[in-house]
Amino acid sequence: MSQNAEKVIDHFELFRGKEYTEMLANKKCLFEDPVATEELERVAEWTKSAEYREKNFAREALTVNPAKACQPLGAVFAALGFERTLPFVHGSQGCVAYYRSHFSRHFKEPTSAVSSSMTEDAAVFGGLNNMIDGLANSYSMYKPKMISVSTTCMAEVIGDDLNAFIKNAKENGSVPAEMDVPFAHTPAFVGSHVTGYDNTLKGILEHFWDGKAGTAPKLERLPNGKLNFIGGFDGYTVGNIREIKRLLDLMGVEYTILGDNSDVWDTPGDGEFRMYDGGTTLEDTAEAIHAGATISMQEFCTDKTLDFIGSKGQEVIAFNHPVGVEGTDRFLMEVSRLSGKAIPPAVTKERGRLVDAIADSSAHIHGKKFAIYGDPDLTLGLAGFLLELGAEPVHILSTNGGAVWKEKAEALLAGSPFGKGCHVYAGKDLWHMRSLLFTEPVDFLIGNTYGKFLERDTSTPLIRIGFPIFDRHHHHRYPVWGYQGGMNVLVKILDKIFDQMDQSTNDVAKTDYSFDIIR
Amino acid sequence: MNTLSAKVQSVFEEPGCATNQAKPDKERKKGCNKLLAPGAAAGGCAFDGAKIALQPITDVAHLVHGPIGCEGHSWDGRGSKSSGPMLYRTGFTTDITEQDIIFGGEKHLYKAIKEIVEKYNPPAVFVYQTCVPAMIGDDLEAVCKAASAKFGKPVIPVNVPGFVGSKNLGNKLAGEALLDYVIGTEEPAETTPYDINIIGEYNLSGELWQVKPLLDELGIRILACISGDSRYHEVACSHRARAAMMVCSKAMINVARKMEERYGIPFFEGSFYGIGDMSEALRNISGLLVERGAPAELLERTEAVIAREEERAWSRIAPFRERLTGKRVLLFTGGVKSWSVVAALQEAGMVIVGTSTKKSTPDDKQRIKELVKDDAHMFDDLKPREMYKMLREARADIMLSGGRTQFVALKAMMPWLDINQERHEAYAGYEGIVALIREIDKALFNPIWEQIRKPAPWDAVAGQHELWIQVA
Repeated sequence: MSQNAEKVIDHFELFRGKEYTEMLANKKCLFEDPVATEELERVAEWTKSAEYREKNFAREALTVNPAKACQPLGAVFAALGFERTLPFVHGSQGCVAYYRSHFSRHFKEPTSAVSSSMTEDAAVFGGLNNMIDGLANSYSMYKPKMISVSTTCMAEVIGDDLNAFIKNAKENGSVPAEMDVPFAHTPAFVGSHVTGYDNTLKGILEHFWDGKAGTAPKLERLPNGKLNFIGGFDGYTVGNIREIKRLLDLMGVEYTILGDNSDVWDTPGDGEFRMYDGGTTLEDTAEAIHAGATISMQEFCTDKTLDFIGSKGQEVIAFNHPVGVEGTDRFLMEVSRLSGKAIPPAVTKERGRLVDAIADSSAHIHGKKFAIYGDPDLTLGLAGFLLELGAEPVHILSTNGGAVWKEKAEALLAGSPFGKGCHVYAGKDLWHMRSLLFTEPVDFLIGNTYGKFLERDTSTPLIRIGFPIFDRHHHHRYPVWGYQGGMNVLVKILDKIFDQMDQSTNDVAKTDYSFDIIR
Repeated sequence: MNTLSAKVQSVFEEPGCATNQAKPDKERKKGCNKLLAPGAAAGGCAFDGAKIALQPITDVAHLVHGPIGCEGHSWDGRGSKSSGPMLYRTGFTTDITEQDIIFGGEKHLYKAIKEIVEKYNPPAVFVYQTCVPAMIGDDLEAVCKAASAKFGKPVIPVNVPGFVGSKNLGNKLAGEALLDYVIGTEEPAETTPYDINIIGEYNLSGELWQVKPLLDELGIRILACISGDSRYHEVACSHRARAAMMVCSKAMINVARKMEERYGIPFFEGSFYGIGDMSEALRNISGLLVERGAPAELLERTEAVIAREEERAWSRIAPFRERLTGKRVLLFTGGVKSWSVVAALQEAGMVIVGTSTKKSTPDDKQRIKELVKDDAHMFDDLKPREMYKMLREARADIMLSGGRTQFVALKAMMPWLDINQERHEAYAGYEGIVALIREIDKALFNPIWEQIRKPAPWDAVAGQHELWIQVA
């Protein structure tokens, strides 16, 4: 055998050895009743055809490789943006383990969240006891300042009433009566992670502004001219929030970030474990009601939240994950208008640098065709940037995008000559995307880590922008917002274009006549 | 007078050079090397020019004798393509240091040549002299001669220390090195009445390959291209060609003229840029070959190919003409390209509002005048600041130029397209003109240009920006 105790070979090499390749081939041939290679190839080719695409798009019940996650994931994200806040998910514990590993794989940081560990008897008799015990345990063990409760499907299916349960738990002494325990119902069978973010953020604001579930007087709004800023569910939150703070500080704007995840997912390696770090303080959260206006960077992440904030008399503005020159222009000008602060020359200069960089490289991006998939806001922001670069976002797909998103995206395409011949696909998945990439090929694909299978299948080079990014490290530290963020996205796109150029010209004595030092 | 300054002097007196011919005797002796103004932006040195001219010989080792800077900066920086050998892209240098400068670098150089021969065994080694070893008195010729004898292999000295003069002078000195040491030293296996040389063509971005298929179709053989995608043996045999086309007159006129003088190979000056020029080039090649004894039917076949290719190119440009007609172009480039590109752009309906003539001969200038009538401004030497000012005022839609002026154009908010050597698209031949037009179309209609001409939307002070938007 190729494997022996003296020198154990890992999975990269082991099965490439002669013994294994032969054994596997024999096994297949003798015991697996394989179809003939030609038949296999014929069917594989057929799945690339227009005929197959038609059948694929006629799919009704089955989702294959969805590009979205569930509500409670968004709930945990939103909760972690607040000071010493423990996300508490009422429901089954397996779900919560998923959220934690999902975030940790993306941010390369530990992510703290607990569940009420509902089991079969809880499903039958209701989860009240789990809530009572769960809040008590997590309060005494993890010393949170706030516990933000959301739900998994299990609790939602049996109809557990969070408001009543939390009240009960407090009466039972699980947590002090004055403890902030906001909540939101976040069933995964409705919407996606962006909906869960929205519900949870709204739940938290409602808690502080509307009398803490009847335990305190409602807050009276006394407008103070400050700005609230909401980033939304964002895989680049660490870099983005810091970039936004830098820009707002440069402008001298007084602001509150509602949901600041930038520190909790980027703790220093200094020997201290920080279960909580940074985040919006609870005082600031309550005070935020007095702001003059609230800006959300992601409309589809803050639909209900903005309605709620607007109902308090604030002006609310929503963007669609602005990337690039025009997007950032619009964002900063709104900030300037709402705050009355001018955009300083330093920022104008940053803008000029991005414009300059785009001009320097425009010839390489111009006319290139892209497919994009991801969250509704992100796809809109990226598509806008591509149009600005003179590239064509030929396929724009969002599994959690609906009719409103589709209309927006189509309007965006209609506004540019580069949007001609580009199409928008709402509610479609990555298997649909596969058909699109085979039948209407593009030069590059933009998406999250799961796009690597599409890249392999269709040979469309993948530019990793989105959430989650599991197989590349630290992208989340680099902003994609602001002019600096636009620069990062530009470089990411260009790097792939040039990598691709190098890869297609690096065959020694075959194609390397174009393997150039200068690109 | 030592050999190097004698050589430099002889190049200055080049009778084939139109500029020189026009000069009185006394001035001609002074040479055509414009004195550089210290402190002003300057182009490359003689070494750079020589390296550029010879590096496209693909199967030889190019060894730079000098400190690291010379090869460090010129290593593989040109995008001249090879269809086979890749040795020319390996950076060889003696990388001399203090010790060499104190004790002399000749032994170091000799050893470096030895190592190249032992490790790579190329058909020849080209050795380039640079400022430092020249100043300490390393005798390049002597080392090369000794190495050549010892290793039984051509070791070609290219004596071009940067301080002797400009890049253009370096081009010419490189040509002299070929004439002195390479051309005529080997014999081709066979010759045909259809053998030509192409001189001053470097196959940048593979441009030669866009032309070669047509020559192949006509049965015309490129015996040697000097020096794009060439092999040492081809250049060494090039004296057996029947006719020659000179592409870049400024760089290699001495090679073309001396080959005519020594071997009786007639040449003409032509260009592969633009439909008209390309056809003219094919016509001239065939014409010269027939004059030298090729069967006359070649002319008919040539005309047939020209007719077919012109029609095809026109039909491919037609869709662009509508979008490009009336677009105003500023040209900043040198030498032959200034007029040959003018013709090409006019074919696409564009208007030339100005062209630079810094590297152009009086003949070049005359041709430009004929092509653009009086509409155009011709500019000689331009400092970046003046260029910037002119771009802002010229009311052009696009500027075509080399990499060095790119950034001036961008700062002046001018769409820009690279038509010099460091570009990545090939614009030669019928195929190339279609590519050029396509690239211009892309550059003109890229949304960033609209963006770049606008101030930040919050900039209330309109000033120049607004003015610019109005005129643009």
